[in-house]
Amino acid sequence: MILYYLPLILIFLAAIISYKFNKTGYILTAIASIIFSVFTFKIYDYITYFYLIAAIVWVITSLFSITYSKNYGKWLSPLFILTVAGMMLILYSANFLVFISGWEIMSIPAYLTVAINKKNDIEAYVFMFFSEISTVLIITAGVLSFYYTGTLNFVKINNDIVLLIFAIGAMSKMGLTPFMISEWLPIAHGSAPANSSAIFSATMTLMGVYGITKLALLSPESLYVGILFIVIGIISVLFGALYAYISENMKSLGGFSTIENNGTILSVTGLFVAVNNSILRTFILITIVIYAMAHSIAKTGLFITVGHTGSEYFSEVNNIKDNENSLGKFFILSSLSGLLPSLGGLATWMVIEAFFMTAFLHGPLGVTAIIAGSLIAMGEGFATAAMLKIFYFTNRGNKKHIKYESHIILLNGVILVLLFIISPLIIGRYYISGIPSVLIFNGFMIESKFSNADFGLISPVYIFILILIFTVIAYMIFRKPKIRVSERWNGGIENNEYYNSFVYSNNIRLILKKILRTKYENNELIQTVDLFWLVMIDLAGAYRKISKYIAYKFMNSSISMYLIYMIFAFVLIIIITSVVY
Amino acid sequence: MKYYKFGNKNGRYIGSNNKYDVYENTIASKIPENNAIIEKKPYEIYFNYGPSAGGLRESVNFSIVTPGETIRDITVNSHYKRRKIKIINDDINNALLKIERINGFHTASNTVCFLLAIEDALDIDNTGSNDKRIIEIELERIRSNIDVIKGLCESAGFSVPEKQLLYLREKITRIISDTFNHRYFFSANQINNVCGNFNKIRLNGIYDEFYEIYNSLLESKIFMDRIQENGIVNDINSSGPAARASGYKYDARIDSESLTYDNYNIYTMEEGDTFSRFMVRSNEVLASINIINKLLREIGNGKNNTEIKNNSGEGTARIESPQGDIFYYVNIEDNKIKDLSMVSPSYLNIELFKKAVKNNNILTDFFFVWESFGIWVSELEVDFI
Amino acid sequence: MMWFFKGIKKRIKTENLNDKYKIEYPSALEGKSDYNCPTDAIEDQKWIKEKCIFCERCDLKPTHNQDLYNINRNIPAIFKKSFYLYPIDSGTCGACNTEFDTIFSPQYDTNRFKIFLSNTPRHADALVIMGVYTEGMEKIIENAYDAMPEPKLLIGLGACSISGGIIGKKIGKKFDIEILGCPPSPYTVINAILKARGDVK
Repeated sequence: MILYYLPLILIFLAAIISYKFNKTGYILTAIASIIFSVFTFKIYDYITYFYLIAAIVWVITSLFSITYSKNYGKWLSPLFILTVAGMMLILYSANFLVFISGWEIMSIPAYLTVAINKKNDIEAYVFMFFSEISTVLIITAGVLSFYYTGTLNFVKINNDIVLLIFAIGAMSKMGLTPFMISEWLPIAHGSAPANSSAIFSATMTLMGVYGITKLALLSPESLYVGILFIVIGIISVLFGALYAYISENMKSLGGFSTIENNGTILSVTGLFVAVNNSILRTFILITIVIYAMAHSIAKTGLFITVGHTGSEYFSEVNNIKDNENSLGKFFILSSLSGLLPSLGGLATWMVIEAFFMTAFLHGPLGVTAIIAGSLIAMGEGFATAAMLKIFYFTNRGNKKHIKYESHIILLNGVILVLLFIISPLIIGRYYISGIPSVLIFNGFMIESKFSNADFGLISPVYIFILILIFTVIAYMIFRKPKIRVSERWNGGIENNEYYNSFVYSNNIRLILKKILRTKYENNELIQTVDLFWLVMIDLAGAYRKISKYIAYKFMNSSISMYLIYMIFAFVLIIIITSVVY
Repeated sequence: MKYYKFGNKNGRYIGSNNKYDVYENTIASKIPENNAIIEKKPYEIYFNYGPSAGGLRESVNFSIVTPGETIRDITVNSHYKRRKIKIINDDINNALLKIERINGFHTASNTVCFLLAIEDALDIDNTGSNDKRIIEIELERIRSNIDVIKGLCESAGFSVPEKQLLYLREKITRIISDTFNHRYFFSANQINNVCGNFNKIRLNGIYDEFYEIYNSLLESKIFMDRIQENGIVNDINSSGPAARASGYKYDARIDSESLTYDNYNIYTMEEGDTFSRFMVRSNEVLASINIINKLLREIGNGKNNTEIKNNSGEGTARIESPQGDIFYYVNIEDNKIKDLSMVSPSYLNIELFKKAVKNNNILTDFFFVWESFGIWVSELEVDFI
Repeated sequence: MMWFFKGIKKRIKTENLNDKYKIEYPSALEGKSDYNCPTDAIEDQKWIKEKCIFCERCDLKPTHNQDLYNINRNIPAIFKKSFYLYPIDSGTCGACNTEFDTIFSPQYDTNRFKIFLSNTPRHADALVIMGVYTEGMEKIIENAYDAMPEPKLLIGLGACSISGGIIGKKIGKKFDIEILGCPPSPYTVINAILKARGDVK
């Protein structure tokens, strides 16, 4: 029992220690995360893979933060660790009460991180506004669940309304359409440091996915809720990918990319809710887990890559080129683009496979699935373009950088490849097979099945080995590439101008003029903003007025007071839950 | 000076050189231009093209300000091949050799205009060679317009019509060579005389061949799509085919008295885009062939009177070269050139090109717009010393 | 596709090098003259072809012989396989540019001799310099020559680049092939290159 709660205790300890000793705090967080990840294998169930996913992200970000957080003052590390603690509490939760308190413990330090580093007032308020919306909706879902089942525990519910309300709550936190602003605004405006951006984007949204998946498992099948999820998911995928591609702010690019990935996850979840074939359902569940894993880990990598450049905008990047960094970045970005040989490639394959298999169910769901599958594939294409932008434009210049951070980036990339190779171990036995006659032995092949019939197949180990063999052969034949640098012929005159990231993505701004609302005015190109921005910014403004009023009346804005409040609340919840059980 | 006087602005604008602003009937002292440097926005880049690159016939440099794909602004740096020609104090015959080499592709217009200015200055009656000169200039116009249309086809990667037009251009060059003993009219012009065997001009075949290519090009949807609605410009200060393509009835064949055409009808279009310029030029090819055919029936091959009465004076001439108005001013003292100044059509065309290319065009439109004006840097960047 | 057939239907015939069409100027001149040549192309009554701009004013008579070129160096055999030219305009009047352009017209079709145009000096075998010396282009010609891979040739096209002609100074470089004329006719250009490569004895 004590061992089970050890990581939780350790991490709260880390939060307190880190106020004085930053490094120790981060290392303790990493240790706690490693211990926590072990539970994945103790309680074997697909949903517990979220432990592993979260733990990997926390380890990487903690390690990265050791050098990174130097420039951000003493408050960053305790707030960062406390956010992690809140998430861990969510993963521990077996009932709505703990889930909600975890949700709040996660949100409030995150809000403070944004508020301390704010450049404008608006971001912190936007962030808090959507956090509160989500909390209110999740509490509503909890109350409804209590109304239907008579308990606050997560148990089977016969009504899909709980899932729907809970999902809208989680979505507003995940930044899905139409709540996109909640994700990109705080990150984009530089109010969140890169390590916090990473956990906001990679794991905070993962908590939403976790919650939705958990409730989806408990809820009955529902075609309409499922299709609603798919539609919202697809819109998020397309807009997320488009906005990511035209983003000039690297962190906001990451934010939009998260929206795109979460959109995919939500539509797959929608598929899960809508489908009633048990083989397909299990396959879809595994897809959700694998995709969430690929997204979270790779997204962490993206944000630390961006943090590593030390700047916000592509135009400010001044970074020397480095092989280690480039290799890590390559794996991370290929995973986010859905390319082999990284986990993202497998995940994307599974998503598209799931959708196209569902098409065989015919009816409205079949039609939705085939359209959705194609649109997601299109979104992935845009995402590849956005990722190439990150790849090309994050190392130029001549500034020396911190070697340690490059190691972490490489580690992150290698983890993604390793997970790809061992993925047959993660996926349920039913979907693993082999074709010994062509030397693919049993256990090395993932097979998507539909009503006992084979559909598609993929063998990660063989793919990796083949790529490796061809790489080695190519290397043996051609050896180290002979690179000859010669001056470009630039019409005969000296060249001082370089292609930049804005120019790279301007084609889409022009082609999709109508959607993205690009135009010239007085020789000035009007920059595109999120379509949903204008409505949401008004809402956030209204919220700001109300909360200002409340803040003056009831709270003073001392950070230590908040922290004391949270630790007190946490202890209280532990006591209550212990008493309940 | 029969046709011009020094004074203020009067009539349409012809162009400028480094000394004068020239209008339809007056020469005014030059108002300095303000060439502000284009500032780029942080997200934009300067896209450099030239001065020496594939696809450019002459040395000229373009610096395009672009936020990607669209052209927001452009600077044309034509100074690279600026030539300094020593011509002041030369005698007229020697100067003529140098004038021929200002723009080799448009030698006829340049020399004829120069000679007309001299004949104006020395008060020589030149009505006898009027028709021969018109034939010469119209031949040059045919070749020049075919060359511009060939350039448009080349920009579109449209090889078959490009090669056919190139074939046609060479055919006309050979006709010129047979008639005037030189492929580029060098040494064909003298004071009040044109040396040439006009019997050798046969243009009916050219008319049919060109008409066929022109019609086929009009039928080609892809080609029309590429040249329609790009490079739109509509400016009152314009000349030549570019002016006529945007609806201005500007033509020195009508409004200048240096050379006398009878009954010439101006062909105009309204849109001012690359397509309109293509149409104007194509129709002028056909019109020129008709003019030549008509004149050939009337002229004889006799020599003109080249007796010179005066040996000093000031003179001007303005004629319609293939690209627009060309203007010469000469001041002769004792049969030597004391002052010479010239306004080339490329001056106005380059200004129009700048306006046209930044009018909502993307980088791939650039070549079409550039080729459609038929600008020659050689006649623009020349200093007389 | 329609244009493809139009192209075939037209049957434009490329001309044979032997039955070249005759022109008077520029072609080799013969005879003696006392004319006071503005470009000093007549010394002791004799014609100096490098300096001549073929102004038709002296008493020398044209011979229709268009072989007006000098080859100053042994040309490597490798250029027989393919020969890429990069034209560069130093300060021309436009006539040389047009004549150089014309060698790719259907009448001459220089591509049949494995002679092509290059879009950058980086891929070129020979730099074709036209026009008189100008300040602005001096550095650029230098850059282009440096940018070319070995073996490389320098070709001077037209009287201006070789002797300065009548309007300016010559390009201060030693040309491997000098193609004379003002402007050189397309056949002169083709013959000079073919002769230099050893295709024509």
